[in-house]
Amino acid sequence: MAGMPVEIVVFGIGNVLHGDDGAGVYALERLKKDLRVGRGVRLVDGGTLGLELLDYARGGSHLLFLDAVDAGQEPGTLVRLRGSRLGALRTKGDVHQLGIADLLGALRLVSRRRRAIVLIGVQPSSTDWGTALTEPVHAALPQMVEAAVEQLERWGQRTRRVVVPQVREGGLRQRVGVRFGD
Amino acid sequence: MPRIVVDPVTRIEGHLRVEAQVEGGAIADAWSSGTMFRGIEIILRGRDPREAWIWTQRICGVCTTVHALTSVRAVEDALGIEVPDNARIIRNLIAGTQLVQDHVIHFYHLHALDWVDVTLALKADPGKTSQLAESISTWPKSSRNYFKAVQDRVKKLVDSGQLSLFASGYWGHPAYHLPPEANLLAVAHYIEALEFQREFIRIHSVLGGKNPHLQTYLVGGMASSMDANEPGATINTERITQLRELARSARSFVEQVYVPDVLAVAGFYKDWFGRGEGLGNFLAYGCYPMGSIKDHAKFFLPRGIVLNRDLTQVHPVDPANIAEYVSHSWYEYSGGDAQSKHPFDGETNPKYSGPRPPFQQLDTEKKYSWLKSPRYQDQPMEVGPLARMVVAYASGHQEVRTLVDGVLAKLGAPPAALFSTLGRVAARAIETALMARHLEGWVNELDDRMSHGDVRIHDGRLWDPASWPREARGFGTHEAPRGALGHWIEIEDKAIKNYQAVVPTTWNAGPRDAKGQRGAYEAALLKTPVADGERPLELLRTIHSFDPCLACAVHVADARGNTLAHLQVD
Repeated sequence: MAGMPVEIVVFGIGNVLHGDDGAGVYALERLKKDLRVGRGVRLVDGGTLGLELLDYARGGSHLLFLDAVDAGQEPGTLVRLRGSRLGALRTKGDVHQLGIADLLGALRLVSRRRRAIVLIGVQPSSTDWGTALTEPVHAALPQMVEAAVEQLERWGQRTRRVVVPQVREGGLRQRVGVRFGD
Repeated sequence: MPRIVVDPVTRIEGHLRVEAQVEGGAIADAWSSGTMFRGIEIILRGRDPREAWIWTQRICGVCTTVHALTSVRAVEDALGIEVPDNARIIRNLIAGTQLVQDHVIHFYHLHALDWVDVTLALKADPGKTSQLAESISTWPKSSRNYFKAVQDRVKKLVDSGQLSLFASGYWGHPAYHLPPEANLLAVAHYIEALEFQREFIRIHSVLGGKNPHLQTYLVGGMASSMDANEPGATINTERITQLRELARSARSFVEQVYVPDVLAVAGFYKDWFGRGEGLGNFLAYGCYPMGSIKDHAKFFLPRGIVLNRDLTQVHPVDPANIAEYVSHSWYEYSGGDAQSKHPFDGETNPKYSGPRPPFQQLDTEKKYSWLKSPRYQDQPMEVGPLARMVVAYASGHQEVRTLVDGVLAKLGAPPAALFSTLGRVAARAIETALMARHLEGWVNELDDRMSHGDVRIHDGRLWDPASWPREARGFGTHEAPRGALGHWIEIEDKAIKNYQAVVPTTWNAGPRDAKGQRGAYEAALLKTPVADGERPLELLRTIHSFDPCLACAVHVADARGNTLAHLQVD
């Protein structure tokens, strides 16, 4: 992909009503405030996916997904998945038809452009109803953000040192919410 | 034959399990189970009512905006707020756009594969496909070379084994009846629909500030700015032009691609006008206010109830007659499960009593679903595009009558054919055509108001909680793509005391009630033929015709199991 313009799109994926499932969205919120992330990087709160994200994905040469990933590891463990084989990633029990694999499948149908695709995931502990992250996943958020920034740098996104105006938040405030137990 | 269990039903949003008893090659009885608990009501308790919409729009990845809209309406109803006309029109535009986009995605990307065999498309003659395309529509992308290119592209993807979108079809099933050319046409339009919806949904980015998860809702109106000559305004002359073009693109696509395709596919499956009939009771709250939200008579799509397939009579809707049972749901009511509760008195006390997974079969004599059973005057109701079109038709809505009669005439079917699996597919297409026609008019209305200096978009008089009564309750409705959606809110001391959402799929996919009356899915599945119990394509056709959305959407990506070997983990 040498010589191609680098257009990076970062997707925070997950449902903030389902505990650790929202980790990707919370990591994205932190990236929005991270001064090292340049303005050229598009940050998309993707929620629980859907074809609505196709427009953003199509516009990117480099796609980074931040998500909760059940890799059978200790809660809070980070995993990094990459390449076209992300297309084999299944959503949990095919609950949601339009998972990342489906989005990438749709992308391949409408565009022949080659893209660099990476997923940085965190092993969830609980995805029950509730608006708070569990302790191990909350503790892993800074590393998740670091891993994301490192990925952006690998893709040639220069680290910014200048102070940029605070990005307006999407209105979603993380609060200590009601946790709904097992 | 033992029970057929389909779990999960794929190509839907959310998690649905269906059990069906097959006797003599047809379904003798069926049970529908929503297998995930929806706990939004518990999460909202104690929060500021003005931010409820931010949370409700996260219920589901697809229905984001409908829950946001219904939520602000519920709060506005509780506090007695009327939003300015500009806000009303923008909300109609956002909701109408979502309806068109959602219906197009449903037909092509979630439902078409029940009727279209992708593998047969590879055997089609591109020249004949071109002839077929030109015989049903004036859509310009219809050359032999175009279909040949599509065919090559799909073949390449199928050969690479990475076409996950097409992975869940029962290819080669004897119930597929389309000739290869029609399959190729549909597959080409499947891809075009991906492109169409990708651009069209930019209306939401314009009006919502961002997409998904629009951020411009506000109790009392919208948080958008209107100024014809201000480049930074949400709505200015340039944006109006963009909205108009997007609205026109929808009309072209729907009239020249979606509707002709539905007619072409339906022509090969007319036996499905006699299957999947269901309850015959239809409920529509009506929607798209053309004036005051309280002026239901002026809704673009009318409010009403049609009972027992009787198109000669439309009954009024009184929200006081809505109540939910939990007799077969994994909840318990204070006061016992034999009674039903109105949403204002609604309780969400989950108590799972089903079998421990993994299990073979649910005990459907007892509780078997996470969905409640909503009823209107103790009667089960179907909601959705068919309900809306039936109520509009019976109400004498002239435009709907013309569209419905036109489609039925082309297919040589009587109005009674609407009460069927194929009737739902047709009603959805008709409704999309209707909406796509009207989007541009709303854009023009907005433009007109702006050019006359009316830029009022929010009424902030009751924004401050200090101005609220100590106690208030309200009810917001919307006709979401999947049907009648209602949010009930009770406010006490400036905070949410109780919140209940009765969503379309609860009406349709809910279990039996205390009297044992089936829900809409369960009733519609009766008598559906099943040729092959291992591959119940026919069952899926009827279920998918409702466009299930279980509104819960935990979607943790699973890197375990047999797929792990294919992943590069470093």
